[in-house]
Amino acid sequence: MDMNCEQAQQELLDYLSKELPAEEQTRVEAHLAHCAGCQEELQALRQVWHTLGAVPVPEPSENLRPAFYSMLAAYKEEEAAKPTFSLTGIWEKMQAWLVPGSALRLAYGLGLLVMGLVAGYWLNSSPKAVAPATADQQQLAALTSQVEQMRQVMLLSLIENPSATERLRAVSYTKELSGANDRVVDALLSTLNHDENVNVRLATLEALAQLAHEPNVRLGLVKALKNQDSPLVQSALADVMVQLQERRSVQPLRRLLNQPGLNKAVKSKIEESLKNLSNGRPAAPSTTEPYHETDYTPQPADPAGTAV
Amino acid sequence: MLRVKAGDVDRMGLLFERYHRKLFGFLYHMLGRADTSEDLVQTVFYRMLKYRHTYTADGEFRTWMYHLARNVLADHIKKNRHSTHHADVADFAEKIGGGTQADESLQREQEVATLHQALSHLSAENREVLILSRFQELKYGEIARVLNTTEGAVKVRVHRAMNELKTIYLRIEN
Ligand SMILES: [Zn+2]
Repeated sequence: MDMNCEQAQQELLDYLSKELPAEEQTRVEAHLAHCAGCQEELQALRQVWHTLGAVPVPEPSENLRPAFYSMLAAYKEEEAAKPTFSLTGIWEKMQAWLVPGSALRLAYGLGLLVMGLVAGYWLNSSPKAVAPATADQQQLAALTSQVEQMRQVMLLSLIENPSATERLRAVSYTKELSGANDRVVDALLSTLNHDENVNVRLATLEALAQLAHEPNVRLGLVKALKNQDSPLVQSALADVMVQLQERRSVQPLRRLLNQPGLNKAVKSKIEESLKNLSNGRPAAPSTTEPYHETDYTPQPADPAGTAV
Repeated sequence: MLRVKAGDVDRMGLLFERYHRKLFGFLYHMLGRADTSEDLVQTVFYRMLKYRHTYTADGEFRTWMYHLARNVLADHIKKNRHSTHHADVADFAEKIGGGTQADESLQREQEVATLHQALSHLSAENREVLILSRFQELKYGEIARVLNTTEGAVKVRVHRAMNELKTIYLRIEN
């Protein structure tokens, strides 16, 4: 069955770009063989198609690559700022308010990038013979401490920021610090006690809990109990106290229990925590302490520790 | 869990290296401006990072990328209604077209320039399918997934676009 001109012309472009199945291709060729009009049409189409392929695309400028990588670095920082508490939902909402690219953050991302490049340069181009490995290591150590300082500066300057997102970011930098100095601890404790935003307080609590091996942090956490009015923070703080087995928290927890209008869930959480503290058994869900057969009663799937 | 391993984020570097030129080419042909296209490349990669959980492993990455690129482009055009396809393509074409064509290579150059100019006169919808199929070398099926339509509809659109381009091209040339 031969094609007519209209059918053939429908297929010409695909014929040209070799998209046709073999059978169709044969049929188009059969038509072309005896139709001058379609041959002409094919010629015109071919010229446009091939010329189109020759239209040049300029190369992107040399700015594009570094711009991408510093964006990537900044993004990773931002990602790290996400609190690991079960706040993902709230966090997503907050992201929507996020003002993209504050100058400070960009500077920070760029700073890290530059330092990374410099470090790479040092590592890759160790001067031929002499420079002993220790020189490189010293330089690298110096660089690491510069990064560390930069993070501290970022933390201390951002933690006062009016935007809650920026304050969350500031708190997240604690994770990347190898240790916290007094200024950082003070700033975090003050945020835990006074920040108006619950999410910021929760993230701060989490950051401080990681530093609880420091006596001043531990004490600060105990003292923070009386300052909290949010049920979320109260519960989280009670959990931390149980995890740390911090006896000094028993008094303030009892006082909290007597507070009028205390949230019901928080109330039972605190009662449980107090029981836990007096038993001296950590409430951590991962506990592998053996149970006595006689004491054993099946536990609900959701352990107390994840209730927040 | 929305928290994704750092490795995932690092992989974005590989994707950038592999695809940024193509993506830039697509945006450049759609907008006719190199500087804006670079900005938008950056925006597309940012959205890839941010929305990477919407990328399902069974979908083709390219399809997803162009999908995001079209959204970024649409946002950009909405914000800058007054200047859609910019003049520097046409300028470029006229510059080359203005000289005397002594030899064949110059004539070829002029053809290309004319076609470039013709491309910029095409409706955005038609230009898009042509760019995707000719420059980005996507199959009709892939284009259909990018545009959320059927393969048949894509085929028809490509044909229509080619005819429109041919007509404009011949009009400019004569
Ligand atoms: Zn015919």
